[in-house]
Amino acid sequence: MFVCLCKGITDSDIQQLVLEHGVGSIRELKQHVALGSECGSCTKVAQMVIDNTIMDETLFKDVG
Amino acid sequence: MQSTSTILTMLNEVLTTELTSINQYFLHARMYKNWGFNTLNDKCYKKSIMDMKQADKLIERILFLEGLPNLQRLGALSIGEHTVEMIKCDTGVQHTQIEQMKAAIALCENEKDYVTRELLTEILEHEEEHLDWLETQDYQIQSMGIDKYLQAQL
Repeated sequence: MFVCLCKGITDSDIQQLVLEHGVGSIRELKQHVALGSECGSCTKVAQMVIDNTIMDETLFKDVG
Repeated sequence: MQSTSTILTMLNEVLTTELTSINQYFLHARMYKNWGFNTLNDKCYKKSIMDMKQADKLIERILFLEGLPNLQRLGALSIGEHTVEMIKCDTGVQHTQIEQMKAAIALCENEKDYVTRELLTEILEHEEEHLDWLETQDYQIQSMGIDKYLQAQL
């Protein structure tokens, strides 16, 4: 789904940046895309997408 | 006629949800139209217009109760990238709205505002109907596959 409607950035775009470029925070995300630069109402959801992607990658791998 | 501030705050929150919902369904409708899925376009367009009418009733009720309807505040839209995701996003929005409506109706009951309760009950009925429609689409996609489902929406 679209996380940032102002710039047309989707959750899969953010997931890709987390996985391929090691993005771990909104500040780092902003270096790659213009997310949150217009109305700013998407940062909460964007943070959630980052957190969930990081969680999927590391926490559960160690357990298995 | 004066009302309590809790009722007015609640009505404004319900109004914000409606205003957000208008935009979400309108965008989804026109995305479907752009892809040629006319059946889905019609359904979402009508839902958007229905939400506008409901928002109108809420605005009138807030003004009647001597409050100020907040048309400036909008919630975040949840817009999907493709049909399955769009239906999923809409379902999520409907669930949140139905929960909110139920809490609002309970508040009206508590505050003995029976006319507002009736208005909200009417809105809740429409929202439940739309949720049922969304669940039906989800079932159809699962049972006939997305390709056949989309072919039926042309």
